[in-house]
Amino acid sequence: MRIIDAYCTPGTERDTVLAAADLLRSLQQAQVAAAVIAPQDREIAVDNVGGNERIRHLAETSAGRLIPACAANPWRGRDGCQIVRNALSHGAKMLVLAPALQGFCLGDEVTDPLLRLAAEHRLPVYVHTGPHSSSTPTQLILLAAEHPQTRFILGHCGSTDYSHDMPAVFRAAPANVSFELSLVRPWALPAYAQHVDESRLIFGSSAPRNDLRFELEQFDLSWPIERHPGTYGGNLEKLLAEVVA
Amino acid sequence: MIVDCHTHWGGAAKTRDGLNPAPWLKTLAAHGVTHAIVLPLDGLLDAGKIPQDNDDLSKVCGASGGKMVPFCTVNTWFGEEALPELERCLETLSFRGIKFHPWLQGQPVNSPVMDTVCERAAAHDVPILFHDGTPPFSLPSQIALLARRHPRTKIVLGHCGLFEHWREAIAAMRYAPNLWGCMCSPHPGAIKQIIKACDHDRLLWGTDYGYTFYDVYVYRLSMMRLLDMNDDLRDKVFSTNPARLLRLKVDA
Repeated sequence: MRIIDAYCTPGTERDTVLAAADLLRSLQQAQVAAAVIAPQDREIAVDNVGGNERIRHLAETSAGRLIPACAANPWRGRDGCQIVRNALSHGAKMLVLAPALQGFCLGDEVTDPLLRLAAEHRLPVYVHTGPHSSSTPTQLILLAAEHPQTRFILGHCGSTDYSHDMPAVFRAAPANVSFELSLVRPWALPAYAQHVDESRLIFGSSAPRNDLRFELEQFDLSWPIERHPGTYGGNLEKLLAEVVA
Repeated sequence: MIVDCHTHWGGAAKTRDGLNPAPWLKTLAAHGVTHAIVLPLDGLLDAGKIPQDNDDLSKVCGASGGKMVPFCTVNTWFGEEALPELERCLETLSFRGIKFHPWLQGQPVNSPVMDTVCERAAAHDVPILFHDGTPPFSLPSQIALLARRHPRTKIVLGHCGLFEHWREAIAAMRYAPNLWGCMCSPHPGAIKQIIKACDHDRLLWGTDYGYTFYDVYVYRLSMMRLLDMNDDLRDKVFSTNPARLLRLKVDA
């Protein structure tokens, strides 16, 4: 089986300082086959082009082990769509939205052009969710219902304080939503899995904010890798395989 | 001595063990954790259960041989009526601190009654531990303003801002010198920055153990080992800082 980490941030700034070589070494040590890599915070917010190019370059020199995601701030309108098209043509497999960084609320129509574009290309849209009020799991469910053709990945499952919503979110989520597990407490996962089909769960580490190897080991204790190959790679691999450049 | 500065008792533990602390303590002992700040649970969820929960917590901690250090709660929405319960806990039941979970309890951090609570806490020389990291009632900055107004009161950020507000927690601790930080729940990347930026004499460690019976210590202690803390810092975080906060004997 191939383990794939759904979200890492090789970067040079603040709490995401992580050289690509170090990430590759971590993957090898943890026996992780590949990782999706995303631009760092400043790049997600204001330097989409620079960030996407940096990530693309890292991916191109990784022998396929680093899978590039891209970012475009929805406030950039048509320019944002062009940025994503360009990233797609260079191999991007995921679009990252971070409402708290990019300054919009989930559900705001400002995201519509990007979400339509993502639907056309079957490009999964990873959305960071968490305690901030502009990006909650419930908001994403409403957005996903409005955009049934767009495939969403609900990042972090609302960790920590929207975790109370998650059973209801799992039950209400339309079929175009998958759930990424970085920042989720490992021991919470078996309870979560009672409310959602396993085919929609996706392991991610959020390295270097978290330690990839440590998170994987801890998740393995609560949700054994051998018994759940989909969670640890298969489910994400299917999503990424459908992307049309 | 290793002190877990963020645990809860109630709910499932009360149902399983009654007021016997031994099974609950067994989990801590298995990991070398010698003491714990024990926060309420049922009283945070239901204001009507506060007096009973405080009574039960006092009894179970009282039977622990000093290993479980109890913190009480009240609900400030009850205004002046909350204060007699607070006095009962601090005077009669010998609670060692006060806990608030403002978003669970639906109460703002900054209110006249909370100001009175801070003054009472200072008079009894007991700390107040807040859940933090969650808007709209539990931001580190909200708690920092309260701390600044009450410089004699020791106030603890129970989570150092969680995942999204840890930078704010750093700013809060720099703003208010009587504000302490319990490194319970931020990711390792955030904890490294907190350690880098904050006064080491006000840093604590906690696990949130007790919401369920799941043994979170493997995860929490292993995570702290990732941080490469030197012996001096480790000693402060796990031992001497909580001992100073709680007036424990280090060799207890």
